[in-house]
Amino acid sequence: MDLVIQLLLNGIVNGSHYALLGLGFGLIFATTRIVHFAFGSIFTFGAYVAWFVSGYMGAPIFLGLAAGVVVAMGLGVASYVGLYQPLERRGVSPLIPLIASLGLTIVLENLVGIIFGTGARTIDAETSIHFLGPAFFTSIHVWQVVSFLLVCVLLYLFVNYTRYGKAIMAMTDDPEMARVIGIDTARVSILVFALGSALSAIAALLVTLKDGASTHMGFTAVFMGFVAVIVGGVGSLRGAIAGGFLLGLVESLGLWKISTEWQSSIAFIVLFLMILLRPHGLFSLARR
Amino acid sequence: MDFLYHIGVLFCLYAILATSFNLLIGFAGLFALSHAALYAIGAYTTAILTTKLGLAFPLPLLGSVLFAMLLSTIIALPALRVNGHYLVIVSLALQIIVLQVILNWKSLTGGTDGIGGIPPYHFGNLVIDTPFRFMMVAFIALVLCYCIARVLIRSPFGRALRAMRDNESAAQAVGLDILFMKVAVFAISAGLAAVAGSLFAQYFSYVSAESFSINETIYILAMVILGGVGNLRGSVLGAAILIILPELLKFLPLPVDIADKIRLVLYGCVLMAVLVFAPQGLLPEPRGRKAMWVSPDGGDDRTDDEALLSSEGGKRDEIVLEGRNLGKRFGGVVAVSDFSISLKKGRITGLLGPNGAGKTTAFNLLTGFLKPTSGQILLHGKDIARKKPHELVDAGVARSFQDLRLFTNMTVLENVMVALPGQKVRSIWRLFLTPMAVRRREQEAMRKAMHILRFVELHDRAYETAADLSYAEEKLLVVARLLATGAEVLLFDEPMSGLDQTTLHDIFPVIRKLAEHGKAVCIIEHNLDVIKELCDEVFFLDEGRTMAVGKPDELMNNPELAERYFK
Repeated sequence: MDLVIQLLLNGIVNGSHYALLGLGFGLIFATTRIVHFAFGSIFTFGAYVAWFVSGYMGAPIFLGLAAGVVVAMGLGVASYVGLYQPLERRGVSPLIPLIASLGLTIVLENLVGIIFGTGARTIDAETSIHFLGPAFFTSIHVWQVVSFLLVCVLLYLFVNYTRYGKAIMAMTDDPEMARVIGIDTARVSILVFALGSALSAIAALLVTLKDGASTHMGFTAVFMGFVAVIVGGVGSLRGAIAGGFLLGLVESLGLWKISTEWQSSIAFIVLFLMILLRPHGLFSLARR
Repeated sequence: MDFLYHIGVLFCLYAILATSFNLLIGFAGLFALSHAALYAIGAYTTAILTTKLGLAFPLPLLGSVLFAMLLSTIIALPALRVNGHYLVIVSLALQIIVLQVILNWKSLTGGTDGIGGIPPYHFGNLVIDTPFRFMMVAFIALVLCYCIARVLIRSPFGRALRAMRDNESAAQAVGLDILFMKVAVFAISAGLAAVAGSLFAQYFSYVSAESFSINETIYILAMVILGGVGNLRGSVLGAAILIILPELLKFLPLPVDIADKIRLVLYGCVLMAVLVFAPQGLLPEPRGRKAMWVSPDGGDDRTDDEALLSSEGGKRDEIVLEGRNLGKRFGGVVAVSDFSISLKKGRITGLLGPNGAGKTTAFNLLTGFLKPTSGQILLHGKDIARKKPHELVDAGVARSFQDLRLFTNMTVLENVMVALPGQKVRSIWRLFLTPMAVRRREQEAMRKAMHILRFVELHDRAYETAADLSYAEEKLLVVARLLATGAEVLLFDEPMSGLDQTTLHDIFPVIRKLAEHGKAVCIIEHNLDVIKELCDEVFFLDEGRTMAVGKPDELMNNPELAERYFK
């Protein structure tokens, strides 16, 4: 029983990480319909920049976070303007941006290695350990959950109460219609690439504090984001959050019965089954 | 010198990989990005068969190929049900799962240590243990694999693949079994990738999971895209460029680690640059005559339409296809509720009704594209409601689409040929075992296709790409393609819409001739003049049910129906 409580707790912590990734990836995917696979390597970039500023140079964590966010936003916007937009303008099939994105992924991932070197990178931060009955959690875990909640609130306010937020929602519903009623879809796209990348950098910093960074971390990250979005149903931000938590819990509770070396496979198997059985998300029927 | 031979070996391996990958993504349009995993399965199978069981050539190679084909078939059945970017993501996930299994199944695969000590090839007393000797072996393998791929893509099977790539539902509508084709091409592509994997294991005498990461898949993908999707020679060229180019980096004084990363950055940049600036790649897909296997032997000017439209017995006015009380609901929405229709041999039946009446849904039900929630569909009295579209085409029911759905990247002639019966290509082995017979049948098919094109007066456009036709010609090609299926029941979804008066009068006699030769023809049409001119009987459909049946004049003079129609 003690184990289950611990796993549940881990599931919630990981779940908020995945939900954050799901929000970032989902915001871009739902608005632009681009499967921005390089989201993962931008996430990695954010982690390494944050490490460089806070871990290597020893600056305060929030400076590392700020640097990571700024660089990630820059890369996100650049990938839209430099790569996806020219493809969109030519009216290519929606598959082509995804294929191009794979190219961008290996470029960015290897640039991280060239610039920052390979090998695990950690940031030393003061952490405290807390106990909840038989289970424990650290202050970083708390930060993961708190910053996720904070992001949720801010995003909620932004989407519902600002002009650009509403434009994003309109585009999520129907990009063609949004264009017809005079929304500058290119600008909104740039905005979501900036926002989504910023979210990825926040998640990246937190996970670096927790587990350290490696050049391959982006791959899992983008998959987790994708799984969260698919499980929750494409186009629904709430769904992405629910999907992220569900994924965190399934993955964590799976350890109860499955040995650790298979843990990372769980998400991929969930993804595989989801796409085959419920490609429109678990909640798709409820929404219609 | 060995260094050059080594590059030669790598080129051969990657040319095989790129060629086989191109079959999948270029010709079949299936972006299943798990090629490195299949490559890995080939390599590991050979490694295990040689080190654990001590088998010698050719058994490990055969084992690799067969195992990869088997596994890919099992994987393909669920995975290929999804399309577009879902397929990309599912297959990437699959690649990761395969690598995880390899890493975690330590007793069999050695986990992260990999498997070493794989013996080189022995042919009698000749040991293939130098790069030069191995290059020769790899080159022979490349030539064989390339030939297999080339025969495939130029065969009826290849044509069917391209049709499927251009438009999946239209391919079904001309009688192609989509699922079989997808699984078959995936298995063949896997088998060829496994050849490269097996060679890899024998050459390096060591395999480990690192060599088969997703980066490897993207690397091969870059080769295919650079060379040109849908062009086999392009894949070989792409492999050559992307193997040789990074070797030049070796002349720069860089640490090995950095050089390796720069190499990958280079591939990524090539991939993006090609997609943005030259989406066709270096060598574009062959079109027109170049894409054809056989050329028509001219001299054929039979105008024997009887033979073309031959129909098996039966009397005129005999009911061929009948739908009884068909219903279809989507969730809570009722699209068709009580639709009944009967199509008679030698008659042209019209399906009339206002927009949203459920006419196209009715067509989809009759042709197997949708399964009815209630009611019966009978073909010569036999229930066919459960059959798939391609099975229905075989049984004798074929349809066209309102939005045409031509195979736009194929020639006019190919559009017709692919619809002919006998293009199902169930037996792929036959392409290799009895090539002459296949060739003969190809020639026959081509003659027949030309004959059909002459029937609709499109024969002088036979080698044009379908995308270059005028709108009226496209409509004629739709008729020709439908006719080519040889079905006795032909359902046309708005064959005349958008045509001007002159063209209309060109197409009328064609459709009339079809009925005169015993076809049961059904058309959806909005133009009342067309209905009056052509149809023997009209079914009036509204709100998903059959409201009235009768002669065109009778229905048109019925004030209630007129009001419904013009409301």
